[in-house]
Amino acid sequence: MNRNELKIYRQCWFIRAFEGAIAAEAAAGNVPGLVHLSTGSEVADALIGHHIDPNRDKVTGSHRSHGLALACGVEPLDVAKEILGKAGGLSDGLGGTQHLIAPESGFLTSNGIVGAQVPIAAGAALSAKSRSGGGIGVAVFGDGAANQGAVLETMNMAVALKLPMLFVLYNNGMAQSTKAETASGGNYRDRARSFGLPVWSADSVDFAACSKAVEHSVGHARLKGPAFVEVAVSRDHGHYYGDEKADQVFGANDALLAFEKWLLEQGVERSAIVAAADAGKAHAHAIVTEAVAAPNAPATLLSGWSSGESAVND
Amino acid sequence: MTEQMMTFSGALNAVLHQAMRQDGAVVCIGEDIAQNGGVFGVTHGLCDAFGSDRVIDTPISETAFVGMAVGAAMTGLKPMVELMFCDFTGVCFDQILNQAAKARFLSNGKLKLPLVIRTTMGAGDGSGAMHSQSLHGLFASIPGLIVVCPSSPADAAGLLKSSLASDDPVIFLENKQLYELEGLVDAALPPVPLGSAKLAKDGADVTIVATSAMVHEALAAATRLESAGVSAAVLDPRTVKPLDEASILEHVRGTGRLLVVDEGAPFAGLADAVISSVVRGSFPSLKAAPQKLCPPDTPVPYAPAPEACWLPGSDAIVEAVVLMMED
Ligand SMILES: Cc1ncc(C[n+]2csc(CCOP(=O)(O)OP(=O)(O)O)c2C)c(N)n1
Ligand SMILES: [Mg+2]
Repeated sequence: MNRNELKIYRQCWFIRAFEGAIAAEAAAGNVPGLVHLSTGSEVADALIGHHIDPNRDKVTGSHRSHGLALACGVEPLDVAKEILGKAGGLSDGLGGTQHLIAPESGFLTSNGIVGAQVPIAAGAALSAKSRSGGGIGVAVFGDGAANQGAVLETMNMAVALKLPMLFVLYNNGMAQSTKAETASGGNYRDRARSFGLPVWSADSVDFAACSKAVEHSVGHARLKGPAFVEVAVSRDHGHYYGDEKADQVFGANDALLAFEKWLLEQGVERSAIVAAADAGKAHAHAIVTEAVAAPNAPATLLSGWSSGESAVND
Repeated sequence: MTEQMMTFSGALNAVLHQAMRQDGAVVCIGEDIAQNGGVFGVTHGLCDAFGSDRVIDTPISETAFVGMAVGAAMTGLKPMVELMFCDFTGVCFDQILNQAAKARFLSNGKLKLPLVIRTTMGAGDGSGAMHSQSLHGLFASIPGLIVVCPSSPADAAGLLKSSLASDDPVIFLENKQLYELEGLVDAALPPVPLGSAKLAKDGADVTIVATSAMVHEALAAATRLESAGVSAAVLDPRTVKPLDEASILEHVRGTGRLLVVDEGAPFAGLADAVISSVVRGSFPSLKAAPQKLCPPDTPVPYAPAPEACWLPGSDAIVEAVVLMMED
């Protein structure tokens, strides 16, 4: 059991270091636009990646999906290049940080429109259902997205159509500058229950509980039908990197510190824990360094896409 | 008349303060607009001045709050909705297309709809395909909507003032790239009538019609053309709907040449509407085929070089005008 957990732990540090390196590139002016970093949701990201089956499941995510995409097995160098607007990125730089698209992996798409990824995961669930191979669609979305009509419609429809689908709500308490509790009526678990969805929930600072919640909800979606899991995460870098109102930078309730403590309690050697973290960090730095050195996406990229009516028509 | 330097966003902010002070029916509705002052700072200070009953932060529920604004406008309030990016109208399009746009017609004028939806447009900052679109042409194709695209702080202020006074729903598009632009604004914030174009620069050889950020590209190109011996005028319609066709026709009759530069769609957008109007209305005076310069027919790319190539700019304008002059 320890091997798996150490692998997940390494993955968490890989994501944190990857996002740290992207933040440094953003600070240096090497990222085209604003980036919404996954710093604070690494444990949840890594657990989803661990519990899905990339060969038959499809995950969709929000604007904040770097970590989720990495955890779901998307080629990290291609992710880094896409975020940096480089040739050889997932979409050669056409999509960017909010549009990570990797249909060849377990991660289908992220999205620039809050909530839009949720019905798309229902579509992946419908495809999986029609193939009868036991695959599921997984939609990961925030507390803010939970107030979109499309999300609530999809919850109802998934139950009505018995879709093999998992709704994963990352509750970091904030949507841009809006507090979840001031913008949301009731609580999200009760909402999901009211649609007839079975509900799991956990805080990502409690690794064992979180792992169980993700594992069981994925299993339910696969074998019995639509399910819902709420995971408490944090948003350590603020809404986007450079947001002056950063929430916290690795505060006392850092899920990675809690994870480390839990590993020690399970009797894992400290040296093995440190080695796993270091390996994750080194891998991330190597990836981002290589991506930075890659050639920029060329202007000619557009030529294949225009339908002809462009520029001056002469 | 005293004038002061203001930024584009500061001018909009000043009008909102004035309108809320003068008319208790004006309310502001949107995401992160109250304590946060809006993601581009346009609603800064309004909540402190007028309270959270009139400056309302909403959940991320565009269909619900745009629809709420439509209903509030039908029943006596004058809502100003802020929608962070015009791309997000995709989420609440029914409330715009079917509800807001058609209410006055379907009620045979019994309903007034004093609703302003302020939103952003414009590429150039690496925001990607869903935070960079310019959809003014799309909105303008819907009967019942007024569509405004200001290019300067003074126009932004004056047009917002007229929009807030309008009984028809207005889509007010602010180009993200212009928020920091400074310009002189009359301290009284006088209204600018909807549907009236402005000659940003006169010229005798060619009429360049451009709006929003493209006005500035066109002006830069016109300056360069001047030194090459070509006298180019820049005419800014300011409102896309209603379009000031009379001013455009009159100017093109003088120059005989038309180039439309627009960040909107290259197919069935503002550029096509202007060219159609000119060809129908002043065909005999044309010395060359009217031309347009629009982005290619693709979504906005993310990476800097493709994005820069996607956006019409002054180099391409100069090139297009020089070609037309050879005709
Ligand atoms: C339809 C739509 N409305 C608004 C936005 C702007 N926006 C981007 S992220 C965000 C907050 C989302 O909050 P949440 O769903 O909790 O995700 P988090 O950022 O906390 O991960 C907002 C308002 C958007 N991209 N799309
Ligand atoms: Mg959130």
